Amino acid sequence: MQRSSSGWFIENAAKVRLIAESSQAFFLVLLSLRRAVVLSAVMLLPAMALQADDSKVRLLGSSNNAKQLTTETIREIFFMRLSTWPDGTPIHVFVLPDNHPLHIRFAKEILGVYPFQLRSAWDRLVFSGTGVSPTTVESEEEMRARIESTPGSIGYTDTISGDH
Amino acid sequence: MRSVNFDVIFGKAAPMILCSLLTLLMPTGVAALEWLDGKVQVHGFAGQGATYTDHNQVFGSSHDVSLDFREMGLTTSVKPLPNLLISAQGLYRDAGGSDTQGVRLDFAQADYSHAFLDSALVIGVRGGRVKLPFGLYNDTRDVLWTRPTVLLPQSIYFDTLALRQGMLSGDGGALYGRYTHGEHRYGLEFLTFETQDNTGGVAAFWTGIPSVKTAAQGNFGGRPAFIGRTFYEWMGGRVKLLFSIVDIERDFHSSNAIYQNGNTKITFPLFSAQYNAEKWSLTAEYGWIDSQRSGYSPSLQNFPTWKQNTSENFYMQGEYRFTPDFSAVLRYDVLHLNREDRDGREMSQMTGGMVAPHRFYARDLTAGVRWEFARNFLLAVDYHYVNGTAWLNEKDNPTLNNPGTSSHFSLFTTMLSFRF
Repeated sequence: MQRSSSGWFIENAAKVRLIAESSQAFFLVLLSLRRAVVLSAVMLLPAMALQADDSKVRLLGSSNNAKQLTTETIREIFFMRLSTWPDGTPIHVFVLPDNHPLHIRFAKEILGVYPFQLRSAWDRLVFSGTGVSPTTVESEEEMRARIESTPGSIGYTDTISGDH
Repeated sequence: MRSVNFDVIFGKAAPMILCSLLTLLMPTGVAALEWLDGKVQVHGFAGQGATYTDHNQVFGSSHDVSLDFREMGLTTSVKPLPNLLISAQGLYRDAGGSDTQGVRLDFAQADYSHAFLDSALVIGVRGGRVKLPFGLYNDTRDVLWTRPTVLLPQSIYFDTLALRQGMLSGDGGALYGRYTHGEHRYGLEFLTFETQDNTGGVAAFWTGIPSVKTAAQGNFGGRPAFIGRTFYEWMGGRVKLLFSIVDIERDFHSSNAIYQNGNTKITFPLFSAQYNAEKWSLTAEYGWIDSQRSGYSPSLQNFPTWKQNTSENFYMQGEYRFTPDFSAVLRYDVLHLNREDRDGREMSQMTGGMVAPHRFYARDLTAGVRWEFARNFLLAVDYHYVNGTAWLNEKDNPTLNNPGTSSHFSLFTTMLSFRF
């Protein structure tokens, strides 16, 4: 049984159209489902939605040291290339784990770099003996507690939770 | 420095002990150990590799899958003063016939730095046994976490040649400075060090005589070696440009009748460039090794490339990060032992055909993946398709120079590594 090539083409074009149409319909359903979920989330949890929109990453320091730093200096500090504040006291840097959403935002929004660049720089310092790594804490609560209790320390938070 | 061969102590069980140790540590998610507000830090890493080749051998008898590839390190840093850092790293490494040194002191150094100009300028000094700052990867190349692949580009970071041990660290001192201005960073390091002439196969490289072992035949002296490295970085490392150069001169004093006194001069400049985007990175390094030798043996004077030679060493590499934990890498790496004779024909003729042309070049196409499957656990796998045997070592390949030796080979190498 042999089919002409044009016949084959028409038959398959029809199949392709069918697949395209049905997948389009599927995506439309998905999209409306997503809208419904988002809407209900917004209605049910207005406070949380507001927080997600307004939260801003900012530096958190144990003293006035962390205020009025230039972006370059902040970057040097978090890349662990500066060991002391201008007054000679040691800097102690706290960070969240590499895959923590706040760490990712801090790296991108405040430092203008990607988390993998920070990790790579810290590994190089540690394993060549030319520097130390920052202290990793597991949560934002731990970050705030450690910074409060450690003189000369610096870390980050997002504005709303930081104001509690 | 005393070496301990762990294989003698643990025998063939070493890889199994290491693997079970890794598995035991897995659920704990150990972080770096810290005391006194981070003034004392202890870090470590342990990796076990497996290597397979279809022809020729890399890191042991890789025809039958060699497990003879391990790296373990323990690093301690102490900050007695805010600007003073004292650090040391003990390293155990084993890689087939190319590294049988066992335990070694990788570095033990003191580093003092001071910031000026509102912290924009940092000047520092470092001394002791220090890591050699060269190119993008040399400083930390024994740690899988800081390498893009299990095996670094062999044109520049020799791993199978015994020369590698001498490229890693040296006893000396360094001066460095870094300056930051807006989105721009500049840096300069200058290091002077004593070469480790009796480590690995360094003596064979200095003399250009593969079989030479200096301890029995003489000793090396002369001025200390120099390394300079300068860098420019834009946007916190989005763009990185580096230039490194090593300059070495050794005088050989013969202690027997077989060899005469000799002199060797080596210069190795290297240009490095890297672009880092969120999902991908592009990297390239290009350099050449210029060597000049005189003396040693009258019979060698007939080999022009023994007396004066310039190689060509470069690679291009692309990395893509599918997720923060999973990435892939593709690389083309080229080594021409003589840049005027890229197919090795003239070099081979010079040996009267005793050494095959493929011993003088190696072109390696590499594809690899890296997966951090749990926090602090990394699995890396690379596949290399290699044309040319220039970077293979003769201990793992005793018949390498025979005309029948395969010039092409495939290499699979994988490593599981844990760090804290």
